[in-house]
Amino acid sequence: MATTLTSGAGTARAPRLNRKVLVAGLAIALPLLAVLVANLGRDPHSVRSPLVGRPAPPFRLVPVGGGAPVALASLRGKPVVINFWATWCVPCFQEHAALVASARTLTGVQFLGIVYEDDEARTGEFLRERGTSYPSLMDKDGRTAIAYGVFGVPETFFIDPQGRIVEKYVGALDRDAILSLLSLARGGGR
Amino acid sequence: MVPTLGRTLILLALLAASAGAIVGFATGARPNAAGWRWARRLAYAFAAFMALANLTMEYALLTHDFSVSYVAHVGSRSVPTWVSIVSLWSSLEGSILFWGLVMGVYVAVATWRKADDHPEYMPYAVGVWLACGAFFSFLLAGPAQPFATIPNPALDGPGPNPLLQNHYLMVIHPPFLYSGYVGMTIPFGLASASLLVGRLGNDFIRPLRNFLLVSWIFLTCAIVLGGWWAYEVLGWGGYWAWDPVENASFLPWLTATAALHSALLVERKGVLKGWTVILVLATYLLTILGTFMTRSGVFNSVHSFTQSAIGPTILAFLAAALLFSLVLLALRVDSLGSDGRLETGPSRDAMFLVQNLLFVLFTFTVLLGTVFPLVVEAVRGVQMSVGRPYFDKMSVPIGLALLFVMGVGPALPWGRATRQQLRGALLPPLLGACVLAAAGFVLGARNVWTLLSLLFGGFTAQVTLSEMFLPVRQRMRTRGEGLAEAFRQAQARGRRRFGAYVVHAGAVVVIAAIAVSSTMGSSKEVQLNRGETTTLGAYELTFVGAEQVSEPHRDSVRARVEIRKNGRSLGTLFPRMSTYENQREPIGSPAVHTGLTEDLYLSIHNIDGAAGTVGLLVLVNPMVSWIWIATALMALGGLVALVPPLRGATAAAAAPGTSAVAMEGSS
Repeated sequence: MATTLTSGAGTARAPRLNRKVLVAGLAIALPLLAVLVANLGRDPHSVRSPLVGRPAPPFRLVPVGGGAPVALASLRGKPVVINFWATWCVPCFQEHAALVASARTLTGVQFLGIVYEDDEARTGEFLRERGTSYPSLMDKDGRTAIAYGVFGVPETFFIDPQGRIVEKYVGALDRDAILSLLSLARGGGR
Repeated sequence: MVPTLGRTLILLALLAASAGAIVGFATGARPNAAGWRWARRLAYAFAAFMALANLTMEYALLTHDFSVSYVAHVGSRSVPTWVSIVSLWSSLEGSILFWGLVMGVYVAVATWRKADDHPEYMPYAVGVWLACGAFFSFLLAGPAQPFATIPNPALDGPGPNPLLQNHYLMVIHPPFLYSGYVGMTIPFGLASASLLVGRLGNDFIRPLRNFLLVSWIFLTCAIVLGGWWAYEVLGWGGYWAWDPVENASFLPWLTATAALHSALLVERKGVLKGWTVILVLATYLLTILGTFMTRSGVFNSVHSFTQSAIGPTILAFLAAALLFSLVLLALRVDSLGSDGRLETGPSRDAMFLVQNLLFVLFTFTVLLGTVFPLVVEAVRGVQMSVGRPYFDKMSVPIGLALLFVMGVGPALPWGRATRQQLRGALLPPLLGACVLAAAGFVLGARNVWTLLSLLFGGFTAQVTLSEMFLPVRQRMRTRGEGLAEAFRQAQARGRRRFGAYVVHAGAVVVIAAIAVSSTMGSSKEVQLNRGETTTLGAYELTFVGAEQVSEPHRDSVRARVEIRKNGRSLGTLFPRMSTYENQREPIGSPAVHTGLTEDLYLSIHNIDGAAGTVGLLVLVNPMVSWIWIATALMALGGLVALVPPLRGATAAAAAPGTSAVAMEGSS
């Protein structure tokens, strides 16, 4: 069909090509099309993190509102769920209840929140309003997020008792997803 | 039987559209009466076949004919009849079929309305429209296939997505959106025709502008209805999240708004012709990009349909349309020429240009934020989202700048303004600016951006109102007419101008309402036992108890919450959790008490009917209803501008003393 259209364009008069318009248009259009083509057919939930299977990067961070710092190294021996989140992120808001409920009801697992590019006061207010059942840690200079290769929130890492990352999940978690990924982290097979 | 009939109709539509496109282009290149007659007939045939195909699908949905694949996907015997009817646009394949219907209607109306005018342009325009129509027919005949035959049909189907069954806005939002999206095909065809002919005369910019305005009205309503739907259904208390699909509808709106303004400069001064054509083409391409976004599975969003083979096909069409537009522009944009020079000093003309550039900047900002995560994903193999902070940070200053220009532009005269004129135009509205900002401050606005938007909003509101009624005041002063007569006469002569200012007034209110509602709300999360009461601000909420409600298609547990404000009863709200037939997860529906100054918004997080407990998110959202009201005002203003002026009034409109009049008598 495109050929029908363009051949119609060429017939009427001797064309004088405006190179500026063509080049500017192509400069915008081609990269856009290339990106869309490159992303065709991917599942927006699938994640390929090079960290999966590697030891989780260590950290030692202070909880929101102060208190004793929490170090990942001290949590060896049980699975750990690390959820990177922020108050400005809508999916984080959606998954919050499921995370809090899971942390409250599941035993032998440690949930941790790590605050991603957000203000401590606002985060504290969010947690007071919505309640929480596990510590959220301030990552002030963003070093931990960088070490984990966090690119957007929410991202959740599931870490096995030996301190290895077994899975990374992007997007809002629900209870079923938490349970099935936790069974991976507990060594439920893969 | 029904699937075969449906497929046949789609194939006939494809045939009519393809033939019509070829005849249209051939007739455009070598004008002849027979060719033009046939191009029109084929356009009407395309519309008729699409309409019949849609009727066939509705028949299949209503009779629960599960041998039709689309009905098997979305139909259900347990849903109410209205849900069956609107199921046509509730899922992927059906929405494309519905798209075809809307397109058929637009093409038929545009062909019929303009059949005798513009003989030079029209065959090309019909050719372009039908080429687009052929593509969507092809999509329906091949990759989408709503009418595929299911050999051993089941006795019942799953019913549409529960989020979409939840609210009446689902009935009206998609038709508005498609009318906005698809309608952009018409200006696209007209703009392409003007490039193919190599001329954009004053006579032709008017239909272009009017069809653009029709789609713009639908798109404006659709965007806000979408926000309203999210607000009433999704339960997080907001109306806009910069979700890729929301952005997809916002992008063409931005370029269309810019084009509506630049078209005015084409009409008045004969400048910016090529620029306007570029904006119109870009608008259409962005609607196709938006269609791709919602239907390819590339973007992760609450609104998007699931993945399918339709994505690549739409992408191929987007690439073809992009290439066609670019080559056509590069070959012909210079031949459109210019009949004048653009004033660049302080003037209304220059403000039009500033406004246009701001809109284009806005478009690129949103486009970049939407596509950037994909770039990172493609290059580095990791995912990210730039999220709200980026969009909020970027859009607030651009939005404020636009609000400012919307005030300064109309205040300035056409042509270069003198220092004295500048002072006379810009000083008085400062009064409105200060009044509104002071009022906001007294009512508790402390956020700098909120105060700034009230300041600019007050300025723009005063300019808008004074410009809106300028012709009335002039008539009363110079002709001694009474208020009613002067208003009637001014209406008859300058309806477009009046309509445009009504749109501006609506836009000011929308921006102010967004500024206030997004910064001045309050919220709280509570867990209540039966009989317990909680307060938020002036509101007192009592959880009376949980109730079970059963309907054929869903079972709900709802919380009965009695509301009092300052001790006075406001009635009862019923936020609910619904479990739909054939769906596992329950879906929450918020309940909203809507007021003129603020909304009380209740959303359930958890509810236990047996134990008598409920977890509630309680929000007080100020001024949200003004967003809906002012959008209606914007749409109304657009409609007023579309109504043609009285016959014979056009010539008289250019009376002396109306030099500051923006759009008088030009439609």
